[in-house]
Amino acid sequence: MTALMINGLVNGIIVGGLYALLGLSLSLLYGVLRVVNFAHGELVIAGSYVAYVLFSTFGLSPLAALPLAAISFFIVGWGAYFVLIPRLSKSDDPETASFLLMYGFSIAMAAVLLLIFEADSRSIDYSFDPISIPIGPVNVSTARLVALAVTAVVSAVMAWFLFRTLPGKALRAATMNREAIQIVGVNIERLSAFAFALTFGIAGVTGVLIALVFPAFGPFSGAEYSIIGFIVIVLGGLGNPMGALIAGIFYGIAEQMATVFLAQALAQIVGFGMLVVTILVRPTGLFGFRVLR
Amino acid sequence: MLSHTRSQQDREHGDKIFWRLAATLGVIVTTYFALVPYFGLNIAFHFYMMMWITMATAFNISSGFSGYMPFGYVAFYGIGAFTTAILVKKLGWSVIAAVPMAGVAGVILSLLFAPTLRLSGIYFAIVSLALAAICRLIITNLPEEWTGGSFGLQLGSRAEPLNAFFLMMGVMLLAIASVLWMSRSRLGKALKAVRDDPEAASMMGVNIGWIRLKGWMLAAFFPALCGGVEAWYTNVVDTETAFNTLVTTKTVIYAVAGGLGTVTGPIVGAIAMSWIDELVWRRFPLVNLLILGVAVMALVLFLPRGIVGSVLRARPRWRRFIP
Amino acid sequence: MTALIEVTNLTKRFGGLTALDGVSLAASAGQVLGIIGVNGAGKTTLMNCICGLYVPDSGTVRIDGHDTTGRPSHEVAQRGIGRTFQIPRVFRKMSLIDNLMVPVLSWSQSDTELMSKAETILEQFKLIDLRHNFAEELSGGQQKLLEMARMLMPDPRVVMLDEPFAGVHPDLCAFMIERISDMAAQGKAVLLISHDLTSIYRLSNHLIAMNQGQVIAQGGVQDIRSNPDVIEAYLGH
Repeated sequence: MTALMINGLVNGIIVGGLYALLGLSLSLLYGVLRVVNFAHGELVIAGSYVAYVLFSTFGLSPLAALPLAAISFFIVGWGAYFVLIPRLSKSDDPETASFLLMYGFSIAMAAVLLLIFEADSRSIDYSFDPISIPIGPVNVSTARLVALAVTAVVSAVMAWFLFRTLPGKALRAATMNREAIQIVGVNIERLSAFAFALTFGIAGVTGVLIALVFPAFGPFSGAEYSIIGFIVIVLGGLGNPMGALIAGIFYGIAEQMATVFLAQALAQIVGFGMLVVTILVRPTGLFGFRVLR
Repeated sequence: MLSHTRSQQDREHGDKIFWRLAATLGVIVTTYFALVPYFGLNIAFHFYMMMWITMATAFNISSGFSGYMPFGYVAFYGIGAFTTAILVKKLGWSVIAAVPMAGVAGVILSLLFAPTLRLSGIYFAIVSLALAAICRLIITNLPEEWTGGSFGLQLGSRAEPLNAFFLMMGVMLLAIASVLWMSRSRLGKALKAVRDDPEAASMMGVNIGWIRLKGWMLAAFFPALCGGVEAWYTNVVDTETAFNTLVTTKTVIYAVAGGLGTVTGPIVGAIAMSWIDELVWRRFPLVNLLILGVAVMALVLFLPRGIVGSVLRARPRWRRFIP
Repeated sequence: MTALIEVTNLTKRFGGLTALDGVSLAASAGQVLGIIGVNGAGKTTLMNCICGLYVPDSGTVRIDGHDTTGRPSHEVAQRGIGRTFQIPRVFRKMSLIDNLMVPVLSWSQSDTELMSKAETILEQFKLIDLRHNFAEELSGGQQKLLEMARMLMPDPRVVMLDEPFAGVHPDLCAFMIERISDMAAQGKAVLLISHDLTSIYRLSNHLIAMNQGQVIAQGGVQDIRSNPDVIEAYLGH
């Protein structure tokens, strides 16, 4: 394998990890609440901006920004749940209503970011020491490797949480059957708020990591990440968090390898094309659930 | 016996009211927009209002009647714009001949996208979004001689706003007439049945694949025409504006604001929201986008059925009469 | 008399589960064939295979002399068969009249004629005053009546009713029994699934009892009631 291809593979795993996080939180939210979070990309970018502000104003390293973003976004998410979601469940068509609602939210968020930060793209010039670490024949930026490490930790924590703790199991059970879980006495409101807040928290963390991995971001970069998130959850199966993780890495590798061989724009088409082809050929995703009407 | 004749009379009476209201609506809309140039009112504002009325009305065919919400609706608009521009600029067609071809291009694109019709709600919406992005990427990356690359195409010195204005009016009236016809037709009933319960509809003899396709093609025809007429009006076409997601956003918002599933809903919504957009843009140009986003959220939370939809919810009997 | 509906050796498997195992039945014009059995015996699966919702693994279905085995449901419907469902499947956001129009959308008669017919049927089912309401505004019992009315609109020769009396008020039940008798009197072949034994004994000329995907007994009402296998599997000691 040429150095370019190894580079592509390594970057694919790193980027794929981020995409996996995108998919994981989207998947969880859809699974528990049947809410399609069109605003996820914008939430993530907001996380990137938080890291940016903390770095440029207070000189805080992005690593320090991680827990701050996680906690503050979690709290905001908890509040946002009670403002936005309860009304939805009373509507005629909660699924449609939820994606229109989050569509509006995504526009509003992008607008707020635009107002505060203006349209210029931002980046975080944080360098680790050493700047890059050699892996085989290629040099990989330390920042990216750190991001990969954090992604791995977060994923491991999430996996442990979902499969080994009681609240996590409750979340997974709620994904499988909302009614049944209420019958056995779980407070679905608090569980749902928790899922919502968790999504926000993961989005915040993902945003900080994105600032580490990708060169720049702007108020409208969110849309791109939303689409990638959707691609990942469709590939992994809507409502299947572990499938999303695997699909994210798979998609990241595919995307980065595509950029090795094709022009940037074409690589994007490949990405979206994969989404379309997957849905048409294997609608349940690589691992997942019913999508036909 | 007696009650049978009574319900027949009742039905004829209801039909009469419906068509009278529809005719009144048509006359009001036609007269108002026809007089815009003669009273020196803002042509640009009204041109776009007519365009949004058309877009929202056509979107209603897909969403309100058929139950599909294509978040990549702009793809049809964009393909219409580019078809018109290429025919006029590169092949020397006259605009009047090129614009209908825009509609045809929209229908062809809808046939290409037809396999997505078997997907449910969100999957369909997401794939639609991705397909529109793919269209945009493909066109941006086609050779410059074909599609103007990132600079776009200019139709040449053929910008005749008043002609484009009246053509837009024609397209709008055609769209409204189509939806009026459809709402009373068997195709409309078939679409609604397939929307509500496709399996049950199939067990009643409805060929769901074919019906969905018909609705879909009709819904793709009008935004493509809009793209074509707008290309004539502004004289320039480029991928940024022709495939801008804001086109879909506004279409969806305006249609939902008025209320899906009725003919008047999207018209009312497009008019109301056009005015609000204009006023907000004049007063608060910077927070325009923010207000748009918040407006969507507020609509979904507080007026989910839209203006007309909420009225009809309170007065279900009126459903028969209101187009 | 030739059978209007004839099912021969129908088999349907779902993965490892055999839902139907060599089921055969026949019903002619004016006959009411009752189908009884425990939940999971395969009764609804049988109806689903007949109307084209499922494709059977083997066996044949003939409706009015035509082989409809494995045909898509909209084709089967056009052979003249209609059905209702255990949980009513009405078109929720359509008016009652529009609901009735759906089975006849491809007919050549004018809208006026068809709507008149729809109104007549709605009157028979005492739903005429609600004809402009959306189907979702009806009560559960009214929705069951709507389903029956809608089923009768295209004059099907064969009708299948899946537990029409489930959860229904006794008065409404009596009303439905009358309507079902009318259907048979008009020369339709009626297949009727029900756990309401009183009603099904009253209506049926012939019964089949199913268990675990097989027909364990068939015959007249008295024969089935006293059949030891049926008592064992379903009726209780």
